Amino acid sequence: MSSTSNVRIEVKDLVIRYGDQTAVNGVSFTVGRGEHVTLLGPSGCGKTTTLRAIAGLEQPSAGSIHVDGVAMYDASKRANVPTEQRGVSMVFQSYAVWPHMTVFDNVAYGLRVRKQSQSEIKANVEKALDLVQMRHLADRGASKLSGGQQQRVALARAIAFSPTVVLFDEPLSNLDAKLRAEMRVELRELQRRLDITSVYVTHDQEEALAISDRVIVMNVGVIEQIGTPEAIYNRPTSRFVADFVGSANLIKGRVTGPDTFTTDGGTILKFKSPHAPTGQETEVAVRTAYIDLRGQDGDNQLPGHVRQRMFHGDFVQYIIECAAGRLIVRRPPVNLLEEGAPVTVSFSPEHTVLLQR
Amino acid sequence: MADGQLASRLAGVLRPRINGQALTTLAVLVIVGFLVLLPLVFLVEESLNVGDPMAFPPVEFGIANYISIFSEDFKTVWNTLVIAVMATVMAIVIGFVLAWILTRTNVPGREKLERLMELPYYMTPLVGALAWAVIAGPKSGFINQIWKAMGGTSDIADIYTHFGIAWVMALFEGTVAFVMISASMKSMDPALEESARVMGASKLRTTLTVTLPLVMPGVLGAMLFVFAEMLGSFAAALVLGIPGRIYVITTAIWDSTLAYPPDYGRASAMGLALFVVMFGMLTFYRRVINRGSFATITGKAFRPRPMDMGRMAWVLFSICALYIALAVVFPIAALLMTSLQRFATVILGQAQWTLANYELALSLGPVRTALLNSIMLGLGVATVGVVIMALLVWIIYRSKLWGRGAIEYLVMFPQAVPRLVFGLALLWAWLNIPIGIYGTLWLLALAYFTVMLPLGVRTLAGVVLQIDKSLEECARVCGASWGYQMRTVTLPLLKPGILAAWLLIFMACVRELGASAFLQGPHAKVIAPSIVNAFATSGTELTAAMALIQTFTVILALIILFRVARGMTKELQ
Amino acid sequence: MKLFAAMGLAVCAIGMSAPAFAQNAKLCDAPKQMEGFKTCANIEKAKAEGAFTLYSTDPEQGQVKLLAAFNKVFPEIKTSYVRLQAGALYAKVLSERQAKSYLVDVIQISDMGMILDFQRKGGFRQYISPEMQFFPAEAKSKPEGFWTWGSIIMAGIAYNPNNVPAADAPKKWEDLLDPKWKDAINVKVSNSGLQHGVWYMLLPILGMDYFKKFGDQKPRAFDSYVQQYGRLVDGQDKIIMGAQYSGYIEFKAKGAPLAFVFPDTGVPAVPETYGIVDQAPHPNAAELFMDWFLSPVGQKALAEALLLHSPRKDVPAPGGADTVPLDKMKLLSPADWEAFEKDRPSFAREWNRIVGAGR
Repeated sequence: MSSTSNVRIEVKDLVIRYGDQTAVNGVSFTVGRGEHVTLLGPSGCGKTTTLRAIAGLEQPSAGSIHVDGVAMYDASKRANVPTEQRGVSMVFQSYAVWPHMTVFDNVAYGLRVRKQSQSEIKANVEKALDLVQMRHLADRGASKLSGGQQQRVALARAIAFSPTVVLFDEPLSNLDAKLRAEMRVELRELQRRLDITSVYVTHDQEEALAISDRVIVMNVGVIEQIGTPEAIYNRPTSRFVADFVGSANLIKGRVTGPDTFTTDGGTILKFKSPHAPTGQETEVAVRTAYIDLRGQDGDNQLPGHVRQRMFHGDFVQYIIECAAGRLIVRRPPVNLLEEGAPVTVSFSPEHTVLLQR
Repeated sequence: MADGQLASRLAGVLRPRINGQALTTLAVLVIVGFLVLLPLVFLVEESLNVGDPMAFPPVEFGIANYISIFSEDFKTVWNTLVIAVMATVMAIVIGFVLAWILTRTNVPGREKLERLMELPYYMTPLVGALAWAVIAGPKSGFINQIWKAMGGTSDIADIYTHFGIAWVMALFEGTVAFVMISASMKSMDPALEESARVMGASKLRTTLTVTLPLVMPGVLGAMLFVFAEMLGSFAAALVLGIPGRIYVITTAIWDSTLAYPPDYGRASAMGLALFVVMFGMLTFYRRVINRGSFATITGKAFRPRPMDMGRMAWVLFSICALYIALAVVFPIAALLMTSLQRFATVILGQAQWTLANYELALSLGPVRTALLNSIMLGLGVATVGVVIMALLVWIIYRSKLWGRGAIEYLVMFPQAVPRLVFGLALLWAWLNIPIGIYGTLWLLALAYFTVMLPLGVRTLAGVVLQIDKSLEECARVCGASWGYQMRTVTLPLLKPGILAAWLLIFMACVRELGASAFLQGPHAKVIAPSIVNAFATSGTELTAAMALIQTFTVILALIILFRVARGMTKELQ
Repeated sequence: MKLFAAMGLAVCAIGMSAPAFAQNAKLCDAPKQMEGFKTCANIEKAKAEGAFTLYSTDPEQGQVKLLAAFNKVFPEIKTSYVRLQAGALYAKVLSERQAKSYLVDVIQISDMGMILDFQRKGGFRQYISPEMQFFPAEAKSKPEGFWTWGSIIMAGIAYNPNNVPAADAPKKWEDLLDPKWKDAINVKVSNSGLQHGVWYMLLPILGMDYFKKFGDQKPRAFDSYVQQYGRLVDGQDKIIMGAQYSGYIEFKAKGAPLAFVFPDTGVPAVPETYGIVDQAPHPNAAELFMDWFLSPVGQKALAEALLLHSPRKDVPAPGGADTVPLDKMKLLSPADWEAFEKDRPSFAREWNRIVGAGR
């Protein structure tokens, strides 16, 4: 048994079907001890379904799910442990705070199920509430809480019985932008402090990148790419990942040398790739944030002019016409250029990412 | 990770599939299937009986009974259709107008009026029919009296006609139509009408071109539902049809069973035919509703802004008041007058006033017993019933049990069977089952439970669907077993729905006529059939007194129960 | 005399199907004298049984009064009843017996056909009451003790003198065919034993033609005389054809404006017959009831409760001094009750057609 190994969760070849539709089509990944892994993708990609399958709330059709080496679901062995016996905790998108109980009772629920003593329950509940700064509202009826407060209670409830794994189903998506940003930080803090292994689902790529140890990008039931946030951002392997995470320019062309890529328009670009190109690649991606508008040495440089300028506050976005087509460029909001101004589009070969598919 | 936890995890994997949830589900299924389907089996068997009607089981089989429905009984079928159609049209018009007035306009006293709209429901159709017989009977009804006093020569109103029966039925079924259509109207997005007004459409134009089409699915659904109810209606046709020699299917069934030898074959065949039609209507209704705008069940409930009607608002107010007068005030007044007279005459000059009827009604041991029995049955069936129905509802709408769609149909079956017919079927079923509950209150309790299933399940389903699934899932994730989750999360959240269902079932039990008519015994009498019996054998004055005693007892019981219920749901507010 | 009769009856009895109980029951040797009546019943056992159930066609109010009178004499015996029209009552009794559900002790049905049928099926339990000797022979079963007539009901014509001027008032059955009474006559439903009697006795006298024309008058049918008389009082109908005399007495006593006609042709009369049911749940109480009921005390109670005439000559007519006693009426009763019974289906069919009740 691998109870001392570093793998907490192992999902292998998971397939989940609904009638004649396949929501999850062969997904495999592992989650290590204390790791915070995020399933990221657009709606309908199967991330929530996968998460719920780990909790036992969805019925897979094939594959296996192991937690701490124990088979929670295994099609070949016909194993299917019911939800209430899996011991994984979950925070729901709608918080699912029970309106007919107080905050205290909500958080104590899992402890009462485990038949802890009164004093133990009290101690654990107070500890959990302290962690989310909700101790002062312990006796309030849960239906009288604001959205943010409910979210904290849901969180406290999830960690109260000291689970080893916590699943998060888009827990912040119902909050407004400012609150979301704050909660992100707190969540991360909490997770670090308690050394919880977490699987997190979100469609917000900014959020995913900010708080995860590793990101699993999913699309239509399959995994597109697994990697650290930096890896996903800097080295997307597919058009989908490049497009979905962050903003990127996708330039079509073909590989014409060990490190050269010729665009359809004829421009020759230099790229740096960790693997040798197969020669089948047809696109490179260049992050909008990595493009300068003044020529830098060593970069791919293209002359062009500003076609449109949009001021976004934290950054300014230009649409530049150049030989490689229309490129989107994001720059810090200073030294704004006028529409029509001539520029030199400049980006380094490291930031010219060859997309594998 | 401790080995103990590991061991328990392993044990969880290896434990056999049978668990509390599956067992309870199976038990409930078997019981409900038995209660609902078994009587119907007897019904089908008897409908094919073309030999000696007293032979159990039948010895000669054939379909002659069904054929005769279309040949000899055609007039009855025709009557049924005509009356049902008239009643439905009138009920829908009443319901629609009232719903529109109370949800879309700024009629004064809106909240009070909405409350008052519930009153006709407490006036059972039986009591209403009795009252209207007094009000609009030919020659001596109030209306004709006043007309003659004003110089008229012959009657202007005759309640013992097709129209009269349909009128009384519509008056009291109108409340149901009102509730269904106003629910549909309330769930409309106000922005839809507002954009029409912004474009310049007048109030009338907006109503006709925007409101009406949007509410159509709800209206259509209500129409189907009401029509199905009208087909199976019994009380009004019994009181008002027979004196006018107008028989509908339900009263023809009733009549067949009172003859000697009783024509059970004809009764069953007609009952089943009616059942098939009603079943079809109700299936159609559910399909319409599921495709239509039933947003109140899942989404937010919009609060549309009512239109300002200016001075017209008072006209609308009087329309609502008129309905209350016709359905509640006049009938109660008429019954009150009748019950206080020595002779049931509305010729006021002849009237002799007395309290003797009330003394007699209250002193008649059997009447007191019957009333008590009805109330006890109501309390018992409602209490046990809601628990079982809550379980059923959970199984149908929340579990992943295979075949739960079939259970849903099973549970809704009794709605399509006219209560009278079901009572008959239950009679045979239990006469032939060697458990000695025939002639006791237990049989009535079983019958009530079975015929109330659709009512309770429908009410609870509405509430269950509003509970976010994640509230239950979260309990499971926290480690609660199915039983623990039901007890600590699902049932407490269902409390308002459970209370509503309880009250509805209680009331329905106390008013129940159709099924009870056949299942009464010397020691198991209930109040509604007693009132009908009194109507036939004891004169209108005594009947009026009994009817009023029943109505006021029920209202008193309900007021008490409302108070208790409000206290219990306070914490959920 | 009794011995010969008993022997003769015993010979006849061999040809009939034997009920479960002794078919050659005899009168007990030492009947007890109670207040106003003699009984052979075991009173202690009856009291121990503590309950008694009657199924009868009489209006509920009347049954309640009658049973209350019995209960006054024996407070330990709690009474209960079911009221149904004759056809429905008989059907209910038969269904219950078929299902081996024995709930009723004594039944009363106002249709002799059904009574005879029940006797043939072995439904009655034979009990010879010391009071039966005071009943005429035709009022008892052969052999004695299966059923006895508890009362006789007769049907004439009734109308409301406030709505029917004296000049127009009907005096004969034939007067009811006058077109001015169209839509203004009410009768009883085909389930009624009395109505069957009216038909059966008048048909040979007045002819089928009479009833065909009577059908054109579009009479309305009702379940009970209470409804019929009520509609006379409030003017919805003008005449009752086959009006139950006891109903007239009852309503007149309450002060209703009514008149009753005994046509010269005669008034059809049928009995209301009582009998103890085989396998009754409270057999001793049932016997006690029959003894009480058939005695002058019980018959007087019946007269008070339901204003019915007793077959016993030593019981005065019900109601006040105005009531016409039995011996002053020209009663028309079927001679052959078996033929009467066989006539029922065709009566029901024809009558339903006349009153417009479907088939």
